[in-house]
Amino acid sequence: MSASLLAVQGLDVDLGTAPKTRVLHDVSLTIRPGEVVGLVGESGSGKTTLARSVLRAVDAAAGSIHIDGRDVTTLRGRALREWRRAGSVQYVFQDPLRSLDPGVRVADSVAEGLRIARIPRAEQERRVNAALAEVGLEHDLAERLPSRLSGGQRQRAAIARALVMHPRLLVLDEPVSALDAASRDRVIRSLIVLREARQTDLGMLVISHDIGSLAALSDRLVVLYRGRVVEDGPTRRVVAAPQHPYTRLLIASVPVIGIEGPDREKRAALRAAIVT
Amino acid sequence: MKRLWSGGGTIRLAIVVLAVVVIVGLLGPWLAPYDPLAQDTDAALQGSSLAHLLGTDYVGRDVLSRLLAGAPVSLVAALLAMVIGLVLGVIPGVLSVFAPRPWEWVSLRVTDALLALPFILFAIVFAGLLGNGLWQAMVAIGILFAPGFFRVSRAAALAVTSSQYIEAATFLGASSGWLVRRHLARQVAPTVAVTAIGALGGALLVVSSLTFLGIGVVPPTPTWGGMLASDLDYLSQRPLGPVAPALAIILTVGALNLLADGARDAFGVDSVARRATRTRRPEHAAAA
Amino acid sequence: MRLLPDNVRDGVPTEAPPQTPGIPARVPEGTPLHTPGLSAQAPSFDETPLLAPPLLAVEGLRISAADGTELVHGIDVAVRRGDSLGIVGESGSGKTLLCRAVLGILPAGIHVTGGRILIEGRDMTAATEPEWRAVRGHRVAAVFQDPASYLNPALRVGKQLEEVLRRTAGVHRRDTRGQAHDLLTQLGLRDVDRVLRQRVGELSGGMLQRVLIAMALATDPDVLIADEATTALDVTVQAEILDLLRDLRTQRRLALVLVSHDLAVVSAVCDRVQVFRDGRVIEGGATARVLRAPGHPYTRQLLSAHAEYGLERYLGSIL
Repeated sequence: MSASLLAVQGLDVDLGTAPKTRVLHDVSLTIRPGEVVGLVGESGSGKTTLARSVLRAVDAAAGSIHIDGRDVTTLRGRALREWRRAGSVQYVFQDPLRSLDPGVRVADSVAEGLRIARIPRAEQERRVNAALAEVGLEHDLAERLPSRLSGGQRQRAAIARALVMHPRLLVLDEPVSALDAASRDRVIRSLIVLREARQTDLGMLVISHDIGSLAALSDRLVVLYRGRVVEDGPTRRVVAAPQHPYTRLLIASVPVIGIEGPDREKRAALRAAIVT
Repeated sequence: MKRLWSGGGTIRLAIVVLAVVVIVGLLGPWLAPYDPLAQDTDAALQGSSLAHLLGTDYVGRDVLSRLLAGAPVSLVAALLAMVIGLVLGVIPGVLSVFAPRPWEWVSLRVTDALLALPFILFAIVFAGLLGNGLWQAMVAIGILFAPGFFRVSRAAALAVTSSQYIEAATFLGASSGWLVRRHLARQVAPTVAVTAIGALGGALLVVSSLTFLGIGVVPPTPTWGGMLASDLDYLSQRPLGPVAPALAIILTVGALNLLADGARDAFGVDSVARRATRTRRPEHAAAA
Repeated sequence: MRLLPDNVRDGVPTEAPPQTPGIPARVPEGTPLHTPGLSAQAPSFDETPLLAPPLLAVEGLRISAADGTELVHGIDVAVRRGDSLGIVGESGSGKTLLCRAVLGILPAGIHVTGGRILIEGRDMTAATEPEWRAVRGHRVAAVFQDPASYLNPALRVGKQLEEVLRRTAGVHRRDTRGQAHDLLTQLGLRDVDRVLRQRVGELSGGMLQRVLIAMALATDPDVLIADEATTALDVTVQAEILDLLRDLRTQRRLALVLVSHDLAVVSAVCDRVQVFRDGRVIEGGATARVLRAPGHPYTRQLLSAHAEYGLERYLGSIL
C-alpha cells in the first residue's frame, strides 16, 4: 500500500440532510503512480461523489483515503487548505465554461493555484508557459477571456490550471462530456500524450459515463453501480470479458460500429441478473 | 462609463443633469451671485428678473443664490447616508455568505428588524437622542439603508459562491478572503453600484424631507428642503420661491433613478436570473 | 434538472419480451456478448417499391438567418414508409435546422430561402401556421433531447399525455385516460397507472422520454423524428429506447428519422445514413456501404475516431 498513489479503502459517503442517503458503499480503489484508472458508471452510481471525495469536497462517513501514504480524511480547516495548496491532487471539472471565472483572463485562471500558494512571479510564469505548451494551447489564446475560446480550448486551459501545480494525481470529472466531437478527440489525445510523457510522474483518475472514451485512455477500468464497485480490472479484460452482470449489460448496451450487439433478450436477462 | 453613455437618450440626459448637479454641489456657494443670507426687504417677493434670475423670497434673499448655496448641504448629507449604508450593509452582506450558520441567522434577523422601521421617524428619534444635527440624522438614515445593501450584496454573493469556478478555487486551497477579493468583488460590485445610485436618490428625498420639517438645520442656513418649507406660504404670490428648490430635488432624484436603471441594464445586473435560464448541454451524472 | 437515475428511482422496469423457450434465464459465463459482422437489426425493407412517394421529402433546401447568412446550403432528404434514415452530424451541421424546418418550427429570424419541403406530396415550404398545425403531430412528429424540459413539472405526466390526446388527436375527454394507458402499455411499460400518476421530478430520463414518445405517437403520425433523443440518457437506457424505436418502426410502419452526432447509434438502428456537415449532406447511402467504404474524408474521420477512441478495437470490430 505504501507504493500506491491513491488508496481508497472501505469508503462510505452520505449525502443530503435529513434523511441522509448513502451514496457510496464500502468503496475501495487503488491507483499506482503513473497509472490511469477509468471510473465508469451511470447516473446515480456515485462516481462524481467518489471523485469529489478524493478532493475532500465531501466528508466520509467511514473508511480512509490515502494519498502518497497520508490519510486525507482527517484533514480539516487550515490543514486542509495547506494540503490543497501543496497541489498534489488536482481536479478538472466537466464544464470549463463554468469552472473558469468568466471575468478573468484564461492565463490568470491557469496561474490561480500558483498565486494562492504564493509561488514567486518568475516561477509562476515558467510553469504557466510550460503547462500551456504541454496541453497545446497557444499564448495569444490564453490572453483571452474564456468566452472567446472553443470548448476544447477551454478544457485544455482547465487541464493546464491543474498541471501548473505539478500534481501527482489528476482527477478528471467527465473531461469531454460537455464538448463536441472534434474538441473531444483533441482533448482525449492531449490526455493520452500527457500520459505518455509523464509515465510514473502523474497518475489519473478519469470519471465518465462513456466507456468508449475511457477505454482509449485507461490502463484499468473500475465500474461503479449504485455506489458499489462491481468490477475492477485491466481495460482490455473488462471490455472483452466482463464478469459482473452490470458490466456485461453496460458493454452490451454501447452501440459499436461493425458489430451486432446482443439482442434485447440477452440484455434483459443481464438486467435481471444484476439484482440477484 | 462608456456602456452607460451608450444606453440611450434618457440616460445621457440623466448623466448631464447629474453632472450639473455635481458641479453645483461642489462649487455652489462660490457661484452664487449674491450672499444667500443677505436680506433686502424692499426687494422681497420679486419675480424673475435680470438681477434675480429666480426672483427673491419673502425677506428679499436671492432665490438662485440660496439654491446654489443649499446644494452642497443637501447633497453631501445624502451622500453620507448612502456611504454609511453601503459600508454597513455590503461588508456584512458579503461576509455572511462565509459565516457559520448562527451568525448568518443573526445577521438576517437584524436586517429584518431594521427593515421594519419607518425611515423618517427613526431619523427624527435618532436626531432627538443625539442632538438636532443633520449629520446625526443622516447616520441614522444610513443605518436604515444598510439592510437593503446587505440583502442585495448577499444575494449577489450567494449567486457567485454556488459557481463552479469558486469550487475550483477552493480545491486550489483558496481562503475566503481570496475568493472575495479575486472573484466575488467583481460580480457583486455592479449590483451594489446600482443599489447605491438608487439609494442616493432616496437619501436625497429623505434629507429634503427632514430639512423641510426643520430637523437638523439651523436656519437661516439654506437647504433645498428648508427653502421649500419657508417659501411654501407664498406659493400663490411668487411660486418661483418654493418651486425652484422642489424642481431641483425632483430633477436630481429623477436623474439618479434613471441612471440606476441605465446602470442595471449596462452592467447586466439581472445576470442572476439570466444565468438560470442559460441553455447548456445536459449533464449525464446529475445525481451522482 | 436533476433526474433520478433509472436504476434507483424507477422500480418500474420495462416489460421484457416473453421468454422464448431455449434462451437460458442467466447468460452463462463466457458467452461472448458480441458477434462480429454487420447485419441490419430490423427486417429489411429493401423490397419497398422505390416508386412509392416519400412521406417526407426535402429538395434543395436552403435555410438562412435574419442577417442573410446561409446556414443550410441545399440539402436533399427523403423518407418513405418503413424507412429508417439516420442523420449524423455535429452541432452547426444543419441537422437540427432540418428537423425544425420540416415541423414548421424554425426559430425566429431563421427561414427557408430556397428549395421545397414536401409532406406527403404537399408543398409546405410557404405554409402558414394553421396549415402546419394540421400536419405537425399528425403526419410528422418528433422527440428531442432533454425530455424533462418539454414537460410541465407541476402536472402529472398522465394529465399532460391526456391533454395531447385531447387537443391534437381530438380524442374525447372520457376516452383520454384509457387511450393514454393503452399507449404506454404498447410502448412496453409495466405498472402504467403508477407512471401516469407521477410528476416529472419523480421519473427518470428514460421513462420521461418514453412518455414523450407516447405523446408523439398520440396522433398516429407517419414519420417520427428523433433528434438526439438518446444523447442525454445513460447508455443502458439508450439501448432500450433504441429498441423501442426499432419496434415502433416495424409495428406501426413508421418512417423513422434518427438524428445523432454518434455514428454508432445511427448505424445500430438505421438502414440508410446521411452525413451532414456545415449545412450540406456530404455523404449518404446504405449504412452498411457507408461504414464499409466511406467516400468522404469527413466520414472516414468519424469512423477513425471510433476506431481510435471507442470500444470497437476491444470487441473485434472490422473497423
